[in-house]
Amino acid sequence: MLFQDIILKLDRFWADQGCVIVQPYDTEVGAGTFYPSTFLKSLGPEPWRAAYVAPSRRPADGRFGDNPYRFQYYFQYQVILKPSPADVQEQYLQSLYSLGIDPHAHDIRFVEDNWESPTLGAWGLGWEVQMDGMEITQFTYFQQVGGIDLKPISVELTYGLERIAMYLQDKAHSYDVEYAPGVSIGDLRRDFEYQHCDYNFHHSNAELQRQLFDAFESEAARLLELKLLYPAYEFVMKASHAFNLLDARGVLSHMERQAYVQRVRRLSETTAKTYLELSTAAQTQEAA
Amino acid sequence: MATLLFEIGTEELPSWYVLAVKKDIASLMAEKLAAVQLKHGEISSYVTPRRVAVLVEDIAEKTPLRQELRRGPAKAVAFDAGGAPSKAALGFARANGVEATDLIVQDADKGSYVFARKELGGEEAAKLLPDLLAELLSELPAPRKMRWADVDTPFVRPVSWLLALLDEQVIDVVAAGQKAGRESHGHRFLATENVNLGHARDYLNSLEKAYVIADVSAREQLTLKVAQETAKQQNLTLVNSGDLLTEVSHLLEYPVAVLGSFERGYLDLPEEVLITTMTHHQRFFPTRSADGKLAPYFVAISNNRVPDDAVLCRGYEQVLSGRLADARFFWDADRSKTLAEHAKGLAGIGFQRQLGTMAQKLARMAKTARTLADLLGLSQAEREVLEQATAVFRADLSTQMVYELPELEGVMARAYALAEGYPAEVAQVLEHGVRPNKPAAPLPAVKVGAVLAVADRLDKLLGFFAIGKKPSGSADPFGLRRDAIALARILNQQGWPLTVSELVEAAAKSYQDSDLSPQSLEAAISELAQFSLDRVAGLLAEEGIRVELLRAAMMDKPAVITASRRCHLLQAMSQEDEFGSLMMLYKRAANLAKEAKADIAVNPELFADEHEESLYAKLPRAKAGIAELMSLAEQNLAPWDLGQSPKQPLSGLEAGIAAVLELKAPLDAFLDHVLVMVEDETVRNNRLALLTEVRDALRALGALEELEGL
Repeated sequence: MLFQDIILKLDRFWADQGCVIVQPYDTEVGAGTFYPSTFLKSLGPEPWRAAYVAPSRRPADGRFGDNPYRFQYYFQYQVILKPSPADVQEQYLQSLYSLGIDPHAHDIRFVEDNWESPTLGAWGLGWEVQMDGMEITQFTYFQQVGGIDLKPISVELTYGLERIAMYLQDKAHSYDVEYAPGVSIGDLRRDFEYQHCDYNFHHSNAELQRQLFDAFESEAARLLELKLLYPAYEFVMKASHAFNLLDARGVLSHMERQAYVQRVRRLSETTAKTYLELSTAAQTQEAA
Repeated sequence: MATLLFEIGTEELPSWYVLAVKKDIASLMAEKLAAVQLKHGEISSYVTPRRVAVLVEDIAEKTPLRQELRRGPAKAVAFDAGGAPSKAALGFARANGVEATDLIVQDADKGSYVFARKELGGEEAAKLLPDLLAELLSELPAPRKMRWADVDTPFVRPVSWLLALLDEQVIDVVAAGQKAGRESHGHRFLATENVNLGHARDYLNSLEKAYVIADVSAREQLTLKVAQETAKQQNLTLVNSGDLLTEVSHLLEYPVAVLGSFERGYLDLPEEVLITTMTHHQRFFPTRSADGKLAPYFVAISNNRVPDDAVLCRGYEQVLSGRLADARFFWDADRSKTLAEHAKGLAGIGFQRQLGTMAQKLARMAKTARTLADLLGLSQAEREVLEQATAVFRADLSTQMVYELPELEGVMARAYALAEGYPAEVAQVLEHGVRPNKPAAPLPAVKVGAVLAVADRLDKLLGFFAIGKKPSGSADPFGLRRDAIALARILNQQGWPLTVSELVEAAAKSYQDSDLSPQSLEAAISELAQFSLDRVAGLLAEEGIRVELLRAAMMDKPAVITASRRCHLLQAMSQEDEFGSLMMLYKRAANLAKEAKADIAVNPELFADEHEESLYAKLPRAKAGIAELMSLAEQNLAPWDLGQSPKQPLSGLEAGIAAVLELKAPLDAFLDHVLVMVEDETVRNNRLALLTEVRDALRALGALEELEGL
């Protein structure tokens, strides 16, 4: 199955389960969890179902394309279901069928793996799903997001698209995966990956990133005061990415790193609180 | 009498929870049944990744009947002048559900009162159980629970179904968003339909037909069996180390073994690297061929029986070969630097705030190790090995391999040292110096390795105590208890004659140039010495030594080996019939000797009574007896791993004890016939000095005054 067909199949499958198929957000994020459609929508009581491809940036994970599994840029396929359905594991296994994977022909396990995002003030419990020993999906019941206890609880599914494609196409390296007929992932990403690794590790301007972080942080804080939630949250995401670049550049001491994490976390928590205030106010207005 | 079954069906539980909940659910059930006074027979519990179940045999249908007298108002208040019940009495009767005419009058401690006789009990099990089982579910302990959907009862993972049967009857339990029925679920992939349970007794059999082995130990045995059989087909044996089998069997409901292989070329890697790579992430069983060497095959345990094993194998092998390729990369990359170069990287790894980096820690440790070498009188050759090892001790912490697989610390230092051409003794010391790195891991088997292991732990313990991080209550976030236990075990197994205080002082000397204040260091020294001795006592208690003997043996805070030998000597002696006489003897002498002035020696010239003469004459023989007992303990009790008991019990103590007991007759006679507290001060002091000698001779065995109750 082609890489793009995996995406199309998952879109079709989750759309049929009532999910909104959201399109990728146009700001750098470390994971699909940062998307407003997960981070913000998991807050509050309203039901919500969405699925989307989340191109993700993890500057420190880059390996210049040498490691078949580790990249600074890759795709997650993200599903968020609120409240978590009682049969979510069954639904997930059904989604594997749609990719041509028959769970009865494999050794599929749900192995404990808990998740925490210090910058988002979020944590959850769940599993990594292993197929024949290989991790293919992260499965998390969010307990807290933005420092707020959730009710109802959302469940997040994150498919590792490249890994699943490598398996389905029997390829040893992500770059060898056929994305579209005659076009491999390597064709699309090899130079992009290499140059970004070189930039992240060797050429990024650390001083500039520090200044950017400070600027993004104060802009986010200013906009939160103005209750301009969505623009504010964009600057939170940008600040988080600036921090990730500093981290990859290896210029942060342990203590400094912790301090940056705390700064992003404070912004995330204020964002979450503001979102709830605004949506409660909107509902009250509607009711009136 | 009926059988009760309660099953909590869940989404996949973490493997660490399996054994904990198996124990907890049985004990909590017993507690709950006792609280409502429901009699019952045996309680069994069953756990798989998808269920927690408890089965109670012979549950009584009703709670036993019993009467209870409840006290009401005083008689004077309860009846009016005409003998009719007052308002107070009527109210009391109503509150207790009896007629006023049934109230009885009895005398209590302060006059007469009215009492209501209540008939209690007789409650039906079937009525008590719904609430009881719901509480059982919500009260099951776990370090971390979660919520899901909009259910308010947290559990370790979402609850998918409940099953509750009293024999054939469903119990209406409602909990965690589920209502109990008689339906259970079989294996997620292998069962074709749900399990409809007719009777609580059928639980295990019905599940087995649905490919679920619910009994934890049966599942573990079956897992081992299928793994061994699969290995045997290729003339291979399993490498089954540590908790691998347990963990594997906790992650599945039905085990199916599959044989996989990897490229022979990887066999050049150190054996531990291969074994750890297979077991750590993948939980595969490594295998050995008939010649004992690691074979390029592994046994994976699948939780599913599939049409084509080759599909599973392809996945397992692909993941493993990815990990082995990583391991090969680390092995090559790490060896491109020398250990001495890796050691420089320790300056970039923090040890603990206020205590500096790993490099600073290792510099302190090196000093402590040298002090220990002096105290122990190490040979020149041993010192040379120590110096070479100390220079690169724990350097592997900054290698990529240990960063990825921390449990290989020490093992990698050995492997890299050998590859670099270090002498074999040095490489071995580098490996043994970090032992035991897990509670179940072996202790250092070479003396110089033990010196490093002891110096390392002393540095950590003393440092953490000095910055106020000593464990309190059951909280021990830095694992200091574990370190002190390891320290005690190493010291006993090495049999070093150094007291705990001497050791702690040695470590403190190395902290002298640090930022720690002399006061905090001073306080830490004595606290740590006591903390360590408490761990020694704890390990000896695990060997079955009674607490009084422990206190006696800890006299003067001796070396660990001295304390442990004293314990076993006293324990063996206390089994002998004459032990009581011996203690009596000690007590009489010790009571009088309290009056004695220090530093006055016995002067036989001053003896005025034959009983003095004969007691004095027997002393050397008694002392020889005690010396014999102590040397027997030393010879028979070779240093051992504390907590495991010595390999051979003490024996042959009779002669020694008899020699000591020969003191009894002359001492009795002395105390009966000689007046100690005479007017003449010289004579009095001489007699007291004689008794002091008797006491001190016996006290060589330990603080015997602790044993008076025995």
